[in-house]
Amino acid sequence: MKFQKKRASTKQAIPTASLPDIVFMLLLFFMVTTTLREHDVMVSFRLPDAKAIEKIENKRLVSYLWVGNDGKMQIDDNIVKINEIQTIMYEKRVSLPNIIISLRIDKNSDMGVVTDIQQELRKASCLRINYSAFYKL
Amino acid sequence: MVKIKKRKLGEAEIPTSSMADIAFLLLLFFLVSTTIDVDTGIGLTLPEYIPLEQQEFVPISKERLAALLINEQGDVLLDGEIIAIPQIKNNLKARIESKINLPKNKKLIVSVKTDRKTNYNLYIQALDQVKGAYFDVREAYAAGTYGKKVFDLTPEEEKEIKELIPIIISIAEPETVKK
Repeated sequence: MKFQKKRASTKQAIPTASLPDIVFMLLLFFMVTTTLREHDVMVSFRLPDAKAIEKIENKRLVSYLWVGNDGKMQIDDNIVKINEIQTIMYEKRVSLPNIIISLRIDKNSDMGVVTDIQQELRKASCLRINYSAFYKL
Repeated sequence: MVKIKKRKLGEAEIPTSSMADIAFLLLLFFLVSTTIDVDTGIGLTLPEYIPLEQQEFVPISKERLAALLINEQGDVLLDGEIIAIPQIKNNLKARIESKINLPKNKKLIVSVKTDRKTNYNLYIQALDQVKGAYFDVREAYAAGTYGKKVFDLTPEEEKEIKELIPIIISIAEPETVKK
């Protein structure tokens, strides 16, 4: 006796018509959330970890200051010297009064550098700072 | 009259099968170029710069002050006694809590002082503990008074809690002698 194999008579293709829509949705998400890298970081640094950290809500207010493991300092796209910080930061503050300075300092730095920078920032009256740190797991 | 037969137009259609490919290409570009930057850190407000000649000393009672000193060897001293970094939080929590109901000019001030050779990471760990202590007290107060988390508080309640438990951290300048 011959057995006929049971087979569905309907087509077995996955409808792909909505695929572009899905992809566009993903695309839109990434387009909205993306921020193109603004600065070339020329110093190497590793951030410290901390638990009680906050997010900076307003990215527009943030200006970065990097300090590498060799003590080099960078603002925007330039390596700067400690005595230049005051003028640069003062100009920044004039154009953006409630500026937040995010300090991205290598975790093996000495506090001497940090205090010097803070003194310069105080002189430039950029008083809102943020020690950049990763969340400690 | 000669009848001109209307030519039938073929149905015009844009091929959409490659749309997905184009979209994928765009998607890939944004996926690669994106950096979901997490701007997290410990926020702090520096004191205003006052030239040395104009500085005046304001006496602060010992009761109000928690002096945290981190020296270059990595020892942490809280009010002159050596303490391990993870213990700072619990130590300060009790002191902050005891001052919730005191007037504004009697709240705790945490003074963090370092040497010039102190490791930055250590300083951040200590500062993290201090901040953590404040956050915990606020969280406990919010839970006890409003039955909510700090995150869910209304702006008025948040303002009140910030007034009751202000975060006052003073960053003392290191002694220049050790330069």
